[in-house]
Amino acid sequence: MENIENSRRKFLKIASHALGVTLAAGIAVPLVGLAIHPWMKETVYGTEDFIHIGKMDDFPIGIPKKMTVTSSKMDAWNIFEGLVIGSVWVVRRGDNSLNVFSTNCPHLGCGIDWGADVNQFLCPCHEGVFDVNGKKISGPAPRDLYSFETKVENNNIFVSYKRAI
Amino acid sequence: MANKLREWIEDRTGLNNFLKIALDEPVHGGAKWSYIFGSGLVFLLILQAVTGIVMTAYYSPSSTTAWGSVYYLQEKTSFGWFIRGLHHFGSSAMIILAVVHMFQVFIFGAYKKPRELNWISGVILLLFLLGFGLTGYLLPWDQKGYWATQVATNIIETIPVIGNYIKILTQGGSDYGNFTLTRFYSIHVFLLPLSLLFFLFIHIALFRKHGVTPYWKMKEEILHNRVDPFWPDQMFKDIVFAIGMYAILAGWVFWNKGAELLAPADPASNFLARPEWYFLSLFQLLKYCQGKFLIVGTVIIPTLAMIFLFVLPFIDRNASRYPSKRVPVFCAIFSGLVGVVALTAVAIIHDSHDVHIQHQKEDSEKQAARAMKLAAKGVPPAGGMSIFLADPVRLGEKIFKESCNGCHMLRGEGGETASDFTNFGAREWVSELLKNPKDAKYFKESGAMPPVKLPDESLLDMAEFLLSQSGNLLNMNTDRLDRGKELVLKGNCAICHPFGDKEAKKVAPNLTGYLSETWLKEFIKNPADLKFYGARNKMPAFEGKFTDRELDALIQYLFTLSKDRILISRREECGKRLTTTSCGQQKTEKRKCAFGLTNSRILTDFKSKS
Repeated sequence: MENIENSRRKFLKIASHALGVTLAAGIAVPLVGLAIHPWMKETVYGTEDFIHIGKMDDFPIGIPKKMTVTSSKMDAWNIFEGLVIGSVWVVRRGDNSLNVFSTNCPHLGCGIDWGADVNQFLCPCHEGVFDVNGKKISGPAPRDLYSFETKVENNNIFVSYKRAI
Repeated sequence: MANKLREWIEDRTGLNNFLKIALDEPVHGGAKWSYIFGSGLVFLLILQAVTGIVMTAYYSPSSTTAWGSVYYLQEKTSFGWFIRGLHHFGSSAMIILAVVHMFQVFIFGAYKKPRELNWISGVILLLFLLGFGLTGYLLPWDQKGYWATQVATNIIETIPVIGNYIKILTQGGSDYGNFTLTRFYSIHVFLLPLSLLFFLFIHIALFRKHGVTPYWKMKEEILHNRVDPFWPDQMFKDIVFAIGMYAILAGWVFWNKGAELLAPADPASNFLARPEWYFLSLFQLLKYCQGKFLIVGTVIIPTLAMIFLFVLPFIDRNASRYPSKRVPVFCAIFSGLVGVVALTAVAIIHDSHDVHIQHQKEDSEKQAARAMKLAAKGVPPAGGMSIFLADPVRLGEKIFKESCNGCHMLRGEGGETASDFTNFGAREWVSELLKNPKDAKYFKESGAMPPVKLPDESLLDMAEFLLSQSGNLLNMNTDRLDRGKELVLKGNCAICHPFGDKEAKKVAPNLTGYLSETWLKEFIKNPADLKFYGARNKMPAFEGKFTDRELDALIQYLFTLSKDRILISRREECGKRLTTTSCGQQKTEKRKCAFGLTNSRILTDFKSKS
């Protein structure tokens, strides 16, 4: 009698563990699935791949011009229209090709100025110097200026601001 | 290694001993299925807690962000709709189970000495559950939550003397706003859970102190001799019950495609509020207590009922637990139950017979579907309602109601001077027009066109051709179209109606591009133009009365009146790759994503519901 009771309890314990684990898993899967949502999907992003920054005629050949980048931003459920999300240096070359550089120094991210008198980009923080093509001339920066991919359609310039090259 | 770790922890915490105390509780008289309800409630409480906690990572309590964040949770996350559904329906499950638990305890007489405080703490816990339901309902800030909660806060106001002060305190001001949400949120996620845990601790501690109350017929000797350990004997039953409940709940969530989310709260609308089902009886009660008797329904009866529950152990002091010896309290409590069920039933039956409420339900579902669609493009920072500001269909509806509805009837409402716009521009609408232009629905006595005496099928063929010219007919049938074209162009129609040249004039309206965007615009601008009705026209010209945007919006709205037409904006979205037909079909398909990402609720979108 005692034996039957004991093996019954043993079975109940195993069954309870099995059912308990099943139940916990059934609840945990959707919970974890929801909790890791930011891994699965971008939650904050610009709505445009290529952002309009001006017309070709706005830019004189060989002289860098600083332009602000304005885009709409999705922030989870919200859309923010016409936000200034950054700025770029635009250099139009003689053959109408374009260089669009990040305004942040590749060293530590300080804002880069154009020194019109020396025809060079100058970083005021640690005296980084870059030429008009973004090439590093001197200073502590580990590389040339970051640049962005561009696209020209009907005289309009678009820049892909998401990824710097 | 694992053993060593266990020993190390055991040495320092005495965990085993603690578990032993927690699990080795002796169940006198043996483990029973009738004892599962209490632990079932604990399981549901844990489920509510974990789903609630994960949802707080997505929810944002303010009047401009609440709806948007719930929309995002529901539509854009994996499993969000499922977790929210569990939480929503889980609250109903808790109420049901709590009432069942209460009645089990009542019938078994488990509130009797020495368990009076056990019962009282249970009644307090039940009140907390109702508090959770009330505060949680508002949080999505959708039409239903907003208006139903208004009723509740207005009820607070009827409490004599202090009512208004309490109301202002709970809603954080004299009207609903950001502070209403922050307060309800704070109460829902901090104040109530902490208070509930406190009383739950007391409730369970008292239960452990006094043990179970078995079936009243159980003999004393069994009660003493048969002792099962809580683990695993009773625990097994509890787990089976928990798994059963979870399966039902999950199934229910799937069946209902998650919890409902209506359109964002619109304080300017006149939404007819209905509370959650477990408050329906109170709501119905108010209908019988009007004017100066309002307070009877809002305060006096509910308070008396609560007082009765609180003092029940002191009224029924008879030591016997046999129901036959407790007839008066049985009568009292069951008549209370019957009253609640009857009031709830009356409320439900009344609403299901009320045409206005049914219409509103349909409208609010349509509006919710539209809101989901608009919100997919992002909710502007001004809040949920602002998604509608730029919505042409909504603007068009407004214009229609202001400028057209006076003559054109729509779904039984509006004037009768001009043609009825119910299902306007659908295949049936056109074919019935052909069948009998003099019908009260169409041109009435002023109809100069003779009826087309052809079988219904042929009339539908003709309608197919006529509407195909608009470029936005859904699911076009080319066989019908060809037959219809033949009938229209080679039959008698073309004698009076010009086809092919937009500007051509004959005795009857030019039907080139019939009911297309351009045709409708030109028609609305000047129906008396010779290419339309000419001298026979009775409709006012709207040239210069609408801006281009307003006219666009009106046309978009007119297209939504029939299920056969596709919105202009929608057509553009579908792009060049897809034909109108395949685009239309695509709309009713499920979003093709992994399980969790599948958009569950809005399978039928706005168009197919209209």
